[in-house]
Amino acid sequence: MQQLPPPKQYVAKLADTEPLNGKFIKFQFELVEPNLLEFIAGQYVSFLVSDKGERRSYSICSSPEVKHSFEITVDTTPEGLGVNFLKNLQFGQEVQVLGPMGVFIVQEEPREENLVFVATGSGVAPFHSMIPNLLREKEDKREITLYWGLRHEEDMIWQDEFQDLAQAFPNFHFHPVLSQALQEWPLCRGHVNDCLNIHTLPTGNTGYYLCGNAKMIQEIKELLINKGIAETAIHHEKFY
Amino acid sequence: MTDKKIGKYTVKIIREKCIGAASCTAIAPGVFELDEEQIARIISQQGNDDETKLLAAQSCPTAAVIVVDNESGDQVWPIISK
Repeated sequence: MQQLPPPKQYVAKLADTEPLNGKFIKFQFELVEPNLLEFIAGQYVSFLVSDKGERRSYSICSSPEVKHSFEITVDTTPEGLGVNFLKNLQFGQEVQVLGPMGVFIVQEEPREENLVFVATGSGVAPFHSMIPNLLREKEDKREITLYWGLRHEEDMIWQDEFQDLAQAFPNFHFHPVLSQALQEWPLCRGHVNDCLNIHTLPTGNTGYYLCGNAKMIQEIKELLINKGIAETAIHHEKFY
Repeated sequence: MTDKKIGKYTVKIIREKCIGAASCTAIAPGVFELDEEQIARIISQQGNDDETKLLAAQSCPTAAVIVVDNESGDQVWPIISK
């Protein structure tokens, strides 16, 4: 089992915000004390969001190669405590962060021959850290596939980045799937389950990484197990 | 014979709420671990100090870890609105 860095308390400050579309906002935080954050792609951090001790967790979506800052991307449509806390932050305002945490990382041992990532909605966030890290920094030559399910094309973020990665790295394949696509949408329609059902999945020892709501994860797990995939090959991170 | 509680806090897990995020195990590995179903369970109430246990509970994204004050018997986390 890979050695995970122990979580620590950090003070960070809001350095930048970027609305990616009408649904998602990216927040960048600069580390203050300690001033470096070591994490493994796929891990998350926990923000203190009230003076009652309430916390909210978000996957880090930036590269682990960048240690003086980190980014999170948040679906702002459920206007809960965490979203309102983040949206009300002023530039330079300090926050208390605990991290890194989480075991949703690419397994090193036993090594999987191929990697399939499946996300719905904001569940793509950890994959935005994991996939470029695999392809660029680790020069991973395994077949790596990302299925990402959303409702509408206007909900999509990072599609140019993922498509550029697919162009630059022939071993990476990107399959966005829209459940409420307009007629002119040329790619996969329906839910990610539908796409996985009709696509030929890689043979051999393939690792499946699922991230999204609990219902999706349960459905995809059952689909994969029915297709003969071992349960030990299926890893998940539930967003709620 | 009554159970003698050691320390300030006792932690409990609500299994149905746990999503296996593993923040409790990361912060208080002496108290929490994930079982075969990737659900948190308690291995020892004395595995970490009380403040670490409380922080581990507070870090849970689904409030699946309850903290009870041993002296008063009151739940200190999640905070119960009155």
